[in-house]
Amino acid sequence: MKVNINGTIHNVTSSEDTPLLWVIRDELNLTGTKFGCGQAQCGACTVHMDGNPVRSCALPLKLVGEKEIVTIEGMKDKISQAVQKAWVENHVPQCGYCQIGNVMTASALLAETKKPTDTDIDNAMGGHICRCGTYQRIKAAIHQAARELA
Amino acid sequence: MTEEKMIVNRRDFLTSSAAALGGLIVAFNIPGNNRLLAAEVSKAAAVYAPNAFVHIAPDNTITMIINKLEMGQGVNTSMAQLIAEELECDWKLIKSVSAPVNPVYNHTMFGPLQMTGGSSALASSWDQHRKIGAGMREMLELAAAKRWGIPVAEVKAQNGFIVSARGKLSYGELAEDANKLPLPQNPKLKNSKDFKVIGHSMKRVDALGKANGTAIFGMDVRIPGMLYAVVARSHIDGGEIASYDEKAARAVSGVVDVVRFGNKVAVLAKNTYAAKTGRDALKIQFKSNKNDTFSTDEWMKHFKSLADEKGIVAENIGAVEEAMKSSKTQFTADYEFPYLAHSAMEPLNCTVNYDGKKAEIWSGHQMPTSDRDVAAKIFGLKPENVDVHTTYAGGSFGRRASKNSDYVVQACELAKIVKKPLKMVMTREDDTHAGYYRPITFHRAKVGLDEKNKLVSWDHFIVGQTVMGNSFFGDMMIKNGLESAVTEGITESHYKFKNFRVQQTIPKNDVTTLWYRSVGHTHTAYVMETMIDELAHKEKSDPLKYRQSMLSESKKHMAVLEQLKKMTGWGTKKAPKGRAWGLAVHESFGTVVGQVAEVSIVDGLPRVHQVWCSAHCGQVVNPEVAKTQLEGGIVFGITSVMHHEITFKDGLVQQGNFSEMPVVRMFDAPVVHVDFIKTTDAPTGLGEPGVPPIAPAIANAVFQLTNKRVRVLPFAKGMKV
Ligand code: FES
Ligand code: FES
Repeated sequence: MKVNINGTIHNVTSSEDTPLLWVIRDELNLTGTKFGCGQAQCGACTVHMDGNPVRSCALPLKLVGEKEIVTIEGMKDKISQAVQKAWVENHVPQCGYCQIGNVMTASALLAETKKPTDTDIDNAMGGHICRCGTYQRIKAAIHQAARELA
Repeated sequence: MTEEKMIVNRRDFLTSSAAALGGLIVAFNIPGNNRLLAAEVSKAAAVYAPNAFVHIAPDNTITMIINKLEMGQGVNTSMAQLIAEELECDWKLIKSVSAPVNPVYNHTMFGPLQMTGGSSALASSWDQHRKIGAGMREMLELAAAKRWGIPVAEVKAQNGFIVSARGKLSYGELAEDANKLPLPQNPKLKNSKDFKVIGHSMKRVDALGKANGTAIFGMDVRIPGMLYAVVARSHIDGGEIASYDEKAARAVSGVVDVVRFGNKVAVLAKNTYAAKTGRDALKIQFKSNKNDTFSTDEWMKHFKSLADEKGIVAENIGAVEEAMKSSKTQFTADYEFPYLAHSAMEPLNCTVNYDGKKAEIWSGHQMPTSDRDVAAKIFGLKPENVDVHTTYAGGSFGRRASKNSDYVVQACELAKIVKKPLKMVMTREDDTHAGYYRPITFHRAKVGLDEKNKLVSWDHFIVGQTVMGNSFFGDMMIKNGLESAVTEGITESHYKFKNFRVQQTIPKNDVTTLWYRSVGHTHTAYVMETMIDELAHKEKSDPLKYRQSMLSESKKHMAVLEQLKKMTGWGTKKAPKGRAWGLAVHESFGTVVGQVAEVSIVDGLPRVHQVWCSAHCGQVVNPEVAKTQLEGGIVFGITSVMHHEITFKDGLVQQGNFSEMPVVRMFDAPVVHVDFIKTTDAPTGLGEPGVPPIAPAIANAVFQLTNKRVRVLPFAKGMKV
């Protein structure tokens, strides 16, 4: 099967019911995208599909088709750079394992909503679990990135 | 230094990090050979060997070799700060890598072994690491003075250079010369008022990699030809296998092998998903055994009945029984605490490469020495033929300090049979089912009050499963049937009690247990601080003033209570309508933390809106990182008591994924305000002490809102009892 990841078409051999997460991680060795729950509950595996954040652990390869997938390794645009910078400056990551998913969703949020409110952020980020409890810093970092992009 | 020596050096000390360092290392050399050193440091003692901890490259890059696991608490930054402060180097040129296993990296207080835990990283490295930085700086100064032919008093270290009237020389230029000089035995440490790095919020060295996906966790380690293994195991270990469908597993696309080892069966595949699907297809069945009927409900009933019997006395102040008889009224409070799973974000995993002669293992190792030694034993190798690579850990909360190295053992047992590189991965459900829980615990507090409702006697009983039993550590930590990890926080309380007795009973079963972020304090602080609140209310005292009257001799507690008062306006201001403030203060790991939680009730459960937190933790090394530990501890503490519990029915764990153990998410996380007591005392713990006070602070607020004392946890259960 073919998948379009970060602008490159890859021929992959994983079976068509394999969730995209494992194709990305185990077949293509793009390990930035994380496995946390495997059931679309934690958000660690978030990637962009045609620009929207999706849970790659619950997305079988056969449903991806020709859609454009972007993983953290492919996030080079202004928004995601501002997000990553804000993550560093606000001391967001602790263990860091959940943060890639958070960065992916936050970047998608800021692409849609230039100046998100606390409620916008709560709504967008509600699907992410951070066991280290970095939530208030994630929120502050999103606000900061929004300010810098304005 | 000769090429050959450099290689030896790297092999000895940089096996984990050689790749990260690249080829150019002009490093300080460890005096004497490695084996000698190992003998010298076989006792737990602070090792003073700068070259094992710091490498200076010709381009002035400084690599700090961190002998603690970076699991989120920020050691790769804060430990580096201790050295950097005294070394006077350029912070921007610093990077940190994880240390390999070597006695030189042993913990300075526990052991002899290399480990991370007990909120001790900074406390135990405070003197050692500063001395290392200062010793290196003095050697660099001397090397520069010699080169210039001037007295050392005329040179000065400054931001990665030694400067004098003659100009300046970079550390990179001087490292080789400095390396030949004797190690100063008593280098001069700075006065805290001159700190430029310690006490400052340096940016975390791991932050960018963790925001851009380049940070490597155990889960991310890739070895050419590696297979992924997912294992079928029983929930309570000990069950013998009755049957499994090997054919069905092999029929799954991507599955390469099915291997039985002991009472477990592994499915090896080309990717994790195929391995998991194959594992599920095994439909493994276990023979019936004595644990088939195990239920936590029954077990808790058993605990209660044990509290009616005699226990072993852990503490005895005054004359509890006589005082109880003389009291006017008495009441008894029974508390129930469930098993808890650590549920770190990264499900447990371990990568092993074993070829029959030597082995390499990769994981977020919290006790790398023990992990290495058990691996060596399994493979029948000498420990030095097992290379341990410590990666970033996606959280731990105690789980990776496994007293039996359980998941490392499983991966190695499997690799010994397979003899191919493999990564054993637990699914989220496997991680939840794998045991090593915060022990289930029952508390009974019986108190006697006088005619003014003042406390006269407190008779306390704890029935709690062991934390460290059934392990090498248990043998060290359990004395005369008493385990302080079960009673800590109730015993040795700072509250002035006239008549106070604590008894303990440790029942045994086959469920594995372990330390969990803040260990015994997870339940003792809850009992102590809700009881103190209740006693204050009984005698119609303000809960903060009541504590002050009982803690007047503990300066740290008093300072924290005073700071909380200022932060909240306690006594003058009040919580908004429909909300209440609950207070708790507790010491753990040498740190006193006080918290006020602003709570309302939403859908029958407490909702925490904001928390004020004051901490006395000695010198704060990195204020922002320190704050994150308390913020995170509070969120973790709320999750631990809101819904979380591991229950057993018919020998099986009832929970699996996050849907069955909901955690605090952004929309229900409180806003946390943190402040520290300013002091220059040596640092004390921070990773854990933020956890204990939050649950009782919430419970004390719940009482004001509902008149109910929640004594059965989690709240989801206890609010309904
Ligand atoms: S791993 Fe996909 S949502 Fe958790
Ligand atoms: S930073 Fe550790 S889980 Fe979020």
